[in-house]
Amino acid sequence: MALPIKYNVRNVFIRWRSTIATIVGVALVVAVYVLVQALAVGLESSSANTGAPGNLLVMRKGSTAESSSQVKLDQLRTIQYLDGVAKDTEGKPLVSGDVLILINLPRRENKGEANILIRGIGANGIKLRPQVALMGGRWFRPGLREVAISKRLSARFANTGIGEKFKTGGHEMTVVGQFDAGSSAFDSEIWMDGDEARSIFDRENYSSVLLTTTSDLAATNLINRIEKDKTLSLKIVPEIGFYKTQTKTAGPIKFMGAFLATAMSIGAIFAAMNTMYASVGARTREVGTLRVLGFRRRTILVSFLLEGAFLALVGGVLGCLLAMPMNGLATGTLSFDNFSEVVFEFRITPRLWMNGLLFSVIVGLIGSLLPAIRAARLPVIASLKSI
Amino acid sequence: MTTLGFIAKNALRNKRRAILSVGSVAASLFLFIILQVGVRELTLPVEDVGSASRVIARNRISLGQLLPAKQKPTIERIPGVEVVSPFTWFGGKFRGEEVMFAQFAVDPDAFLKISVDAHIPAEQAQAFTADRRACIVGKDTAAKYKLKVGDRMMIEGTYWPFDLELHVAGIYSGTPDDRNIFFNHKYLDEASGGGGQVGTWWIKVRSPEEVGPVTSAIDKAFMNTSAEVRAETERAFQLGFISMWGNIKTLISAISSVVVFTLILVSASTMSMAIRERFRELAVLKALGFRRRELFGFILAESFGLSALGAMLGVGGCWALLTFVPATTLTGNFFPTLEVTPRMLGLGSLVAAALGIISSLAPAISVARMSVVEGLKTLD
Amino acid sequence: MDTIAAPAVGHPLASSASSEIVVAVRDLSKIYRQGEINVTALNNISLDIHKAEFLTLMGPSGSGKSTLLHIIAGIDRPTKGECHVQGVDVTRLNESQLADWRNQNVGFVFQTFNLIPVLTAFENVELPLLLTKLPSRRRKEQVKVALDLVGLSARGHHLPKQLSGGQEQRVAIARALVTDPSLIVADEPTGNLDSVSANEVLGILQALCRDAGKTVIMVTHDPKAAAFGTRSIHLEKGELVE
Repeated sequence: MALPIKYNVRNVFIRWRSTIATIVGVALVVAVYVLVQALAVGLESSSANTGAPGNLLVMRKGSTAESSSQVKLDQLRTIQYLDGVAKDTEGKPLVSGDVLILINLPRRENKGEANILIRGIGANGIKLRPQVALMGGRWFRPGLREVAISKRLSARFANTGIGEKFKTGGHEMTVVGQFDAGSSAFDSEIWMDGDEARSIFDRENYSSVLLTTTSDLAATNLINRIEKDKTLSLKIVPEIGFYKTQTKTAGPIKFMGAFLATAMSIGAIFAAMNTMYASVGARTREVGTLRVLGFRRRTILVSFLLEGAFLALVGGVLGCLLAMPMNGLATGTLSFDNFSEVVFEFRITPRLWMNGLLFSVIVGLIGSLLPAIRAARLPVIASLKSI
Repeated sequence: MTTLGFIAKNALRNKRRAILSVGSVAASLFLFIILQVGVRELTLPVEDVGSASRVIARNRISLGQLLPAKQKPTIERIPGVEVVSPFTWFGGKFRGEEVMFAQFAVDPDAFLKISVDAHIPAEQAQAFTADRRACIVGKDTAAKYKLKVGDRMMIEGTYWPFDLELHVAGIYSGTPDDRNIFFNHKYLDEASGGGGQVGTWWIKVRSPEEVGPVTSAIDKAFMNTSAEVRAETERAFQLGFISMWGNIKTLISAISSVVVFTLILVSASTMSMAIRERFRELAVLKALGFRRRELFGFILAESFGLSALGAMLGVGGCWALLTFVPATTLTGNFFPTLEVTPRMLGLGSLVAAALGIISSLAPAISVARMSVVEGLKTLD
Repeated sequence: MDTIAAPAVGHPLASSASSEIVVAVRDLSKIYRQGEINVTALNNISLDIHKAEFLTLMGPSGSGKSTLLHIIAGIDRPTKGECHVQGVDVTRLNESQLADWRNQNVGFVFQTFNLIPVLTAFENVELPLLLTKLPSRRRKEQVKVALDLVGLSARGHHLPKQLSGGQEQRVAIARALVTDPSLIVADEPTGNLDSVSANEVLGILQALCRDAGKTVIMVTHDPKAAAFGTRSIHLEKGELVE
C-alpha cells in the first residue's frame, strides 16, 4: 500500500526554502529546451505548410533545392503541353516557370544585410498558389520592375513598404503589394514577373516549373513520363512533399537544443539530488517511524522518487509558463536550404509542452534515485534518533 | 590542525554534498565556456595573417549572382592590386553526401601567390598548376576521408549542373580552415560549356593601407555596368556572412545568461544548504569564543573553496579538452578551430568567484543573527 | 474523559490482569560491535509478560532496557534467543513479515512523539490503516474512535506544530491504537513532557491496560512514571536484577 501522494506534495511545498532553487533551476532548463525546440518546430512547420495539393514541382534531376536547380526554356515548352497538365479558363496551361534569384538587402534598423529570395513567376504563378493572399496594394504587372513582397519579410527589411523602392545591383525595383502566405515558405519571398527577372538578372534558364494536373491518375502518368525520359533529365515531385524536405536549417537547431538541455540538466540533476538528500537527511526519524508503522522499503523508495519527480514537475510547469510568452514571436535566420533569410515564428506545440514536462520528470527521477535508495535503506531504528 | 585544515575537513565532512556542489559548478561552468567558444567561432572567424591585405569582390546583387570573367584585366590595372584570382564556389556533394568542406575553382598560379599562409610542398604546388584536372585538398579533409596524393575525387554537382572528376595533386595545411579543396577554374569553364563567368574575385593588395582605396576603385570601375561589383576586405566579407545569421548571437548570449543564472542559483542554494545544516557546529564555535568575523571567514572560505574547485574542473577541463583535442575531431570538421580565449577564462573565474560570494551570503547572515543558545538547539 | 488518574500504587490485581502469557522471552542476547569492541546489550534474558499487564522496564542508561523493548516490538533483532509474542516467534520473521506483524500487533509510542509534520492529527492516526484493506469510510470511523479515546477529536485537523507536547503524544497514542493491536510499547513516553501532560499520558496508558485489556510495556527511568504500572522489572548491564 502506498503512501498518500499528499504527503509528498506537502513536503515539497513546506520545504520551499530548499526546494525553490531546484524548482527554478529545472524551470530554466525546461524553458531553454522548449524555446530552442520551438525555433526548430517553427522552421519546420513553415516549410511543411507550403504548397497546394495536386501541384507538382519540376526541377533538374539531382537538385536538392530549387535555387540550385535549372530548367531550360525548351524543357518548359515541352512540359507545358504534355498530357495531363491542367489548363486555366482561357485554355492556357496551368504552369508557372519560376526563376529563383538571391539578392542582398539591408535589414531595418541597421541590423546588417541578408540574402532574400526573389521568385520570378509565370503568368499562372499566383493561381497555382492559392495559400498566398494579397494583403495590401496590388500584384505586379508583367514586364515591369514591380514586386510584391511577403508582409512578414517586409517587416524586417528596409525600403520594402508599399510604394517604396529598393535597389539591387543597379536595378531599381518598386514594391507595389504585400502578401500573406499563411505561414509557409512563401512568407520569406519577394515575387515578381519571371521573364522580367530573367532579363534583369541575366538568367537564361528557369529554376523550376510548377504545374497542376487534371486528375490524380494524370499526375501519376505525368510523373512516370517525365522520370523515364532520359533526354529531359528532370525530376518531378509533389509540391507539398518537396517543401517538407527543405528543413536543413532545423537540424542544427534541434541538435543545439538537445545538447544545451542535456548539459543544463546535469546541473539540474545535481540540484535535485542535493535537495532530495537534504530532504531525506532531515526526515530520517520520519522514515524510521513509517517503517515502524509497517511501511515497506520499496514504498519509501517509490515515495521519495515520486517526490523528486513532483518537485521537478513543478519546475517543468514553471518553465513552460516562462516559455509561453515567446510563442508566436516572429523571427528570422539564414536558411541552409536556400542561403536566404527565412522568416518564421516560435512555435510551441502541445507535443513540445509534453516533452518539456516529461523532461522535467525524468530529471527529477534521476536526481532523486540515489537519495530515495538511501531513504529506503534507513534502518527502522532511525525512528529512535533523539536529534 | 591548521585553520585551512579545519575548513577543508568541514567542507569534505559530507563528501557526497561536496562532490555534488563541485560537480554542479563544474558542469555549468563547462557549459558556459563551451557556449562562449561556440558563439565566438560562429561570429568571429579566425583572422589569418594575410587577411589584412586581401579583398573579395562579388556581384553587388548578391553572392548568388555570377560576374563576367572579362572583369579581370580591369581589376588588375587598378593601382595597388598585385594578384587577382577567380574564386568560384562549386558546392558539390562527395561520396553521395553533403559535406563540411567547400570546393572552389581558382587560378592555381594566382591562388598560390595570394594565399600566403598555405603550406604546400613545391612539387605538389607545381603539379596543381600544371594539370587542369588537379586539385589540392586541405589536411583536415584529407585526414577525414583518408585521401592521399594521386587519389581520384568525384564531386557531384548540385548547384552546377555537372560533376567533377578531380585528382589530388597536393595536400595543404597552415591556413585557419584546412578543410577546403581548390581546383582549376579552366576545368569549370570547360564543363560549364565555355565559361566566361566567375563567382567572386580574390584579390591581393600591395599593403593593408591601400586596401581602402582599392575597394573603392573596384566598385567605381564597374558602377553602371551590367554587373556591378561590391568589393570589401576579406574580414568584412566574412563578417557579412555572419550577420546573415541574424539573431543567433543574441540568442546564444541570452541562453548563456540563463545558464549562468541557473548555475548561480543552483550551486548557491546547494552550498547554502550545506552550511545551514551545520548551524549547531557554528554555534558551538561561537560559544567557544570564535568571533562572527571568523565564522564568516570559515563560511566564505568553504564556499570559495568549493566553487574554485568546480571552476578548475569545469573551466580547466573545457580548456584542456579544446586545447588538446583538435576541433576538427570533436566536431567532425564542423568547426575548424575552437579556441578558449583568456577573456573567457577570466569570465569563467569571475562567475565562480561571484558564486562563492553569493553562496555564502545567506548562511553568513543567518550565522550573524543566530544566538548561541538557538544554534545549539538546532537539529543537525 | 478523565485522563488524569491517580497513580496506582503497588501491584493492583485488577480484573484486567490474567494468566495468559502474551510475550515469552527465552535466553535473549544482543551483542553489537561498536568500533573495535563487542558490546553486550542483553545477556541471556528470559521473561514472561501476561495479558493486560502494564509492565515497566527500568534501569540506568546502557542497561539494555530499550534494546529489550525494541526486540519485543519487532524493530530490532537479537543475536541469540527467541521472543514469542502471542505464539509468533518474531525473531524468525523476515523483514516484510515483521513489517506486517508490527502494523497489526504492536502500537509504538516514542519519546519524541514522531508524528509526521506535514500531516494533520487525523491523517497521522490514519497512517497505519493505509496498510490494511479497509475502505476509506471504515478507516475514518476507526480514526475517530481512536481520537475520541484520547480526547482529541476536536483537534483532528491540526498539524503537529499546532499542538502542545502532551497533545502530540496523545495523538501518537491514538495512532498506536488505531489498528487495535494487543501490545502497546512505549519508549520513555513522558521524557519530553511536563508533569501535567505526563500524568495525562500515563493515565491513558493505564486505562488502556485496565479497561481495554491491552498489554502495555513501558521503558522509563522515572520511578513516578513506573508507579503507574502493574509490575516493574529492572535491568543492569544487560541482565535482569531483582
